[in-house]
Amino acid sequence: MKLIRFLDRNGEKILALWLYLFIVVVIFNEVLRRFVLSYSSLWGEETARYSFIYMVWIGAAMAVKDRLHIRITILVDRLNYRLQNFFSLLAWLLGMILAVIALRYSLEPFMLSIKYQSVTDGLRIVQAWYLFAVPFGFSLIMIRFAQAVIEDARRLVANQPPRGREKLFQ
Amino acid sequence: MYQYTSSYAEYALTPEIILSLVGLVVMFLLGIPIWISLGISAFALLYFSQVIPLSLIGESLFAGLDAFPLIAVPLFILTGDALVRTGLSNKLLDVAEALMGWVRSGFGSSTILGCGFFSCISGSDAAGAAAMGRIATGRLVEKGYPLPYASALVASGSCTGILIPPSIGYIIIGLVLGLSASTLFIAAIIPGVLVLVSIMVANVVMNRAMGYESSTARFDPKHLLWTLWDAKFALMIPFLILGGIYSGVFTPTEAASVAVVLIIAIGLAQRTISLDDLPDMLLSSVKVNGVIVPIIALSLPLAQALSLLQIPQSLVADLTSISAEPLFIIAVMIVIFMIAGAFMEATPNIVILGPLLLPLAQEIGMNDIHFSIFMLTTLGLGFITPPLGLNLFVLSAITGASSMSISYRAIPFMVSMLLAAIVIAVFPQISMVFLD
Repeated sequence: MKLIRFLDRNGEKILALWLYLFIVVVIFNEVLRRFVLSYSSLWGEETARYSFIYMVWIGAAMAVKDRLHIRITILVDRLNYRLQNFFSLLAWLLGMILAVIALRYSLEPFMLSIKYQSVTDGLRIVQAWYLFAVPFGFSLIMIRFAQAVIEDARRLVANQPPRGREKLFQ
Repeated sequence: MYQYTSSYAEYALTPEIILSLVGLVVMFLLGIPIWISLGISAFALLYFSQVIPLSLIGESLFAGLDAFPLIAVPLFILTGDALVRTGLSNKLLDVAEALMGWVRSGFGSSTILGCGFFSCISGSDAAGAAAMGRIATGRLVEKGYPLPYASALVASGSCTGILIPPSIGYIIIGLVLGLSASTLFIAAIIPGVLVLVSIMVANVVMNRAMGYESSTARFDPKHLLWTLWDAKFALMIPFLILGGIYSGVFTPTEAASVAVVLIIAIGLAQRTISLDDLPDMLLSSVKVNGVIVPIIALSLPLAQALSLLQIPQSLVADLTSISAEPLFIIAVMIVIFMIAGAFMEATPNIVILGPLLLPLAQEIGMNDIHFSIFMLTTLGLGFITPPLGLNLFVLSAITGASSMSISYRAIPFMVSMLLAAIVIAVFPQISMVFLD
């Protein structure tokens, strides 16, 4: 239970942080290599690109948790709490549908890659390692959607004000 | 196999297809997050029209993002944030003040110039607006500006965040329209500066009319040199970024990573930030990235389906049948961009309107680079137009002035930015000067 709570709070953060640091360091290193050794590596750009895809979908899950995703609130802000919470729930349910679609169509290439052992251009690693980014990310996103559904359903029942966006830059 | 060559009579706009598109607008209006609305609508459109296989959605979530230039998006958000946290943004503002603070209405102009300096390093908008709002509005009020006007001035100056390169806006347009981000950055230099100057001019005109500022500062070359020396590292970075990109030494992504490493190293060396601050900085930009990039990923299949359904082309046919006069088409596009900018943030507008309106622009002889610059400049107005002007909200939250009072005071700046956008639309040379 303790582990789950820790992962709920920090799991995505830790992953995203290491991926991001890795991306910055690798790209910076590529620049240095080009100046010092005057040739670049086979693996640098490739691993940075794929880490980025992982980071995007992990970041999207974090943004669901913090309610950061861009939406037009000018109309719904004028509604009462009950309706606001209702539309918020609707959003998460549509999101769930999208996540199911995403999983359905991203698992396919992933499975194919495992079956045929297709490899990447640079490092010649089995592509499945990278293709896993989308199913993995959308699994996280689905968990966050589920949490948001529970939270907003509670707010709907209790007729509480809807949860707003977290602040990003103070 | 599906055929690309078939005429568009074959892909007639069935009621289901129209429903998918109307559904998109309805979802937007009901406050469904943009990326979810785009995804559901793209799926419905592909499902009903069968123009491309459904697996394209799964593919675009991965392959659509498998692009090296896109990595610059989080990095150029991070540079802006890091600039603020390391205190380098204050030093840039000091330089701007020493340069222009002594001329008439110079304090306002120097604040705008400070926003411009900031934009030369940061690729996004909100961090700059927040930072300048905190540093500059207090000082502007001291000099005699009313608070809502001071807020409007900073909100407008910060619009240049995505207009002056580096800019995540141009990276996104580049990805969506298949243009090189480096080329767009270079093309955007003069137009970005033009917008900045137009905002300064609006401030000078307003100042002459209303007599806000009572500046007593004198030009002090010693002080200028001192501030320049103090800000030497911060001033080096834009030259490194743009010079590196212009000379072809760096790609924008590489320039961004070099800038990030340098700013953080400077901050650590000058002890304005510590290692403990790093996770927070990095994670803020990861989250913004997680908001922006899914919108791009899910708009790609939608844009592709729309173009296979010949919808942009029929839009061109419909509009040019009214009038094919270039000025009329430009006016129509400006109205569309301004309305879209007033109601939605820049990223969804870029990814939806870019592919939709590019054929229209090409019809009147605009090339894709000129169109991109024109589109982003006009969309930039959206940051200060109510009801959804991002910078208005940021400034309102910081200064306490209501967003409506700020937007009222921002009208002169809107007009001047609009004029700049029209000039950029009519004279392609402004955008192409470094490219020919």
